[in-house]
Amino acid sequence: MDHAIAALGELFEPMRLVALFAGMIAGMVFGMLPGLGGVAAVSIMLPFIFLFDELGGLTLLLGAIAVVYTSDTITSVLLGAPGSPASAPTAIEGHAMAKRGEASTALGLGFLASMLGGVVGAITLALAIPVAGPIVLALGTPELLMFALVGLYFASSMVGKDLAVGLLAGCFGLLLGTIGPAPAAANYRFTFGQPYLLDGLSLTIVALGLFAIAEVIGMLAGGGGISSKRQISTDWTSAFAAFWKHKWLALRGAIIGTFGGFVPAVGANASTWVAYGDAMRSAKDKSKFGKGEPRGIAAAEGANNATVISDLVPTLLFSVPGGPAAAIFLGALFSFGFYPGPRLVSEQPTLLYLIVWSVALASIVGAAICFAVTPLMARLTQVRFALIAAPLLLIMVAGAYQATQSLGDIAVLLVLGMVGWYMKHAGWPRAPVLVGFVLATPVEQYFWLANQIHGWSWLLRPGVLIIAALILFPILFRLITRLKPKGLEAISESASLQEGDDRSSTVSVSRLALALIAVAVFGYAAYEAAGFRANARLLPMLAIVPGLALALFILVREVWNLIRNHGGLVLDARDEYPVALVLLVYGLGIALVGLNLATSAFLLFVLLYFARMRLLGAVLYAAILIAGINGMFMLMRLRPPGGYLVTLNVI
Amino acid sequence: MKAPTRILVTSAIAAALSGSVFALPAQADFAGQTIEVIVPFAPGGATDVAARFLEKYLERHLEGNPDVVVENRAGGGSILGANWFQANAQPDGRTILFTTSSTANPYVLGQPEVEYDLATYRVAYGLPFGSVTYVSATTGIETIEDFANAEGLIYGGIGAAASDLPTLLSFEVFGVDVTAALGFTGRGPIRLAFERGETNLDFQFTPVYMTQVADTVEAGSAVALMSGGYMAADGNMTDRDPAVPDLPSVYEAYVELHGEEPSGVEWEAYNAMAALTLAFGLTAYLHPDTPEEIIALYADAVERINADPEFQQEAAEVVGGYSLTSPSDAEGPLRAALQPSDVVRNYLINLLSEKYDVEFQ
Repeated sequence: MDHAIAALGELFEPMRLVALFAGMIAGMVFGMLPGLGGVAAVSIMLPFIFLFDELGGLTLLLGAIAVVYTSDTITSVLLGAPGSPASAPTAIEGHAMAKRGEASTALGLGFLASMLGGVVGAITLALAIPVAGPIVLALGTPELLMFALVGLYFASSMVGKDLAVGLLAGCFGLLLGTIGPAPAAANYRFTFGQPYLLDGLSLTIVALGLFAIAEVIGMLAGGGGISSKRQISTDWTSAFAAFWKHKWLALRGAIIGTFGGFVPAVGANASTWVAYGDAMRSAKDKSKFGKGEPRGIAAAEGANNATVISDLVPTLLFSVPGGPAAAIFLGALFSFGFYPGPRLVSEQPTLLYLIVWSVALASIVGAAICFAVTPLMARLTQVRFALIAAPLLLIMVAGAYQATQSLGDIAVLLVLGMVGWYMKHAGWPRAPVLVGFVLATPVEQYFWLANQIHGWSWLLRPGVLIIAALILFPILFRLITRLKPKGLEAISESASLQEGDDRSSTVSVSRLALALIAVAVFGYAAYEAAGFRANARLLPMLAIVPGLALALFILVREVWNLIRNHGGLVLDARDEYPVALVLLVYGLGIALVGLNLATSAFLLFVLLYFARMRLLGAVLYAAILIAGINGMFMLMRLRPPGGYLVTLNVI
Repeated sequence: MKAPTRILVTSAIAAALSGSVFALPAQADFAGQTIEVIVPFAPGGATDVAARFLEKYLERHLEGNPDVVVENRAGGGSILGANWFQANAQPDGRTILFTTSSTANPYVLGQPEVEYDLATYRVAYGLPFGSVTYVSATTGIETIEDFANAEGLIYGGIGAAASDLPTLLSFEVFGVDVTAALGFTGRGPIRLAFERGETNLDFQFTPVYMTQVADTVEAGSAVALMSGGYMAADGNMTDRDPAVPDLPSVYEAYVELHGEEPSGVEWEAYNAMAALTLAFGLTAYLHPDTPEEIIALYADAVERINADPEFQQEAAEVVGGYSLTSPSDAEGPLRAALQPSDVVRNYLINLLSEKYDVEFQ
């Protein structure tokens, strides 16, 4: 207790508070910018930690880490583009609420749940450090494998009404996750000879491509606001009411998130989806999920903030970072000469409590600041959407590019963007893709490690059996309840309800095209996977075999519908095709003439043609955006991508 | 340069802003210039920490006090950053590739994605690594002889062609039968698996060994066996590691056990890969045509940094207490290790493919 009070005194040194606050500002800005999350915020802060003393430098980073998953709510809700990958559930539910005119409820609920998650994480950190060691050590590779499987099982509750399409989406995610090196045999899979793909795809880019690009296309084409009622009230009563109603759910999300943080390599993204799936499973009426269900926001935002903070538990106890932002924090600890481990915990209790106070304070103040800036941000939604979409796209491209600084990032972003855009219009669920992608690596890695170390005997470990029961009991319970006649009625009733609002009888171009693409992708994958070594083939095959079968089934179904349905093919979202084309041309332009020239042309075209600005205004606005993006690159100490033919760079 | 068609359009503003466009080709110092240190790994890793640790000492001791900036170019297990360096570095000493055996191993083994010609590069400075191999007390192993005859050893690793390679080769040198569970994401999770008892044989690099493992060895729950060794004046990995003076090196342990020097292709392969992973653990590479004057600037800086008392004190904490390697000492043995004989290379490729399922298509 003395240490805790002493640490609070240390934190209230003016320079350290300045550091914490500066970190929070950076974290909030980066949380709001799609594609730039905690990792980017912390890496950019890294050179500045030496401006402060060692404790001040650490609080700078902690301020940034603690608030990223609070402010990302703003982007997710208002624009439908996930502010960071771990807020994808919020982008789904919150944006749907915003379209109904309930943006302030969604935002307030998100901020409060985030704050709760942060505080729960901080409390856990304080309490867990002395006792968490045995827990972390009790979880062997077989138990970690089982946790990943629990995640996949929870994900299965997200497949939505069309089972075949939902499962296919999950298989597609698993397949995307197998790109790159196989963990058990050093076989590189699906890399097409591109060094860029040797590490596999980045989660940030997959999340942005699937969710955000589709929104940008819609914004550019539509030009309208998110809500028909464009006013976002600053009356937060409904938000507080919603939070109070779902407080236990948010707390449950926070607890799930905390455990996710204990386990290295299960990041905020996985635990967010697990919490979201848990909220969905426990809800009586599941049909509202995906259409603006506040429960989804409460659980997801509670979870991601708790995870990012409890990621620090393995970091401080064992020097093993719980997540990517924690990895950078660990690097900072090293460079100040702190070597985390059991010894640090017993010898430097003040440092430990300083960390706890910092994240707790940042979580609370961060949520308060989010409430304060929301009216400002909400004005954005009254601006013509094409005007927001342009800088949004620029930031995403820059954010994608900063990870490896290769054009591959931009290419993958745009290709997956087209897939996500088609999926949005075809009504294919995108969440299972992301979940499959996130969990593919841990499932495969821990499966092979468990087998190499324990043989098949790992199946009988008590921990494994306990976790398996977590999956099996709910299934059994559901089977039993379903066998009752009442349950059957309810199911058939809800099935017929869903049939009504479904467009499955009409065949749109996007549905047909996606089915064709899916057959081609899985077919090719099957061909290439046949040449892999056995250890590298198992997981891809687990995705490919059902994936190919489902893709063929769906293709046949769509073609059958087309023949049966005399309406013929419907070209959906006709007005969005030119925008999609412009985006692809823009991507090609970056490769040929570099970011600056391509962006200038792209911006002028978009501003004049889609936003219908006057020439002078468009030129000025484009110039400001170009200057801004170059400033961002300068801040990140990077050069904007140059082209194969021409490069025009000012830095 | 990439393509002859490439035109660099640079406006006057650009030149004024960067100030580097009209720089002179040869110079006596780096005054007013910026030196970019390319780290082909993500921020926060061991290489990044070391690069940033050295930043201020290079700024202080390089002639002309240049601005030293660390830039991370992660991807492809360091191949992307190294390929970028190959395509973009100039022979002016202002772009450095600071990397590890993760870049060197794919080069030696001929991985197809490699576009860099590492053996032609000049060396600016280097920082050696040390490693310690240790076993769990539950194995009952107390001596090198116990180890050589042991059964049921389980080793956790990242990948056979990664930083695990010298340690796996040391098992070959001793002819000890080890089950290798490969596929961990880092040495940290491997250490946790060891503490959980899932594996019972492990190695860690010396800074981690000293701060995280030494305590458990002292408490008797783990037994330290040997270090990876330290490079002798003749370029072989036969010396005792000064960071862990109580432990024999692999070479010494072999001599102690068999009464004769290790020999044969196993030892040659170990010697080359241990040099790359440990002695040249962290190496700062320069463009192949970098002029001697610039190499000399780095050699002078290395000497001054090694004599800096602040460096000596901090290096003990951050990088295991080793001094910087000078370019003149490093280049010969480094090139030899990067270009092993065909016998050694074929042995490595065969071993990786047959025992560890590693194949570069």
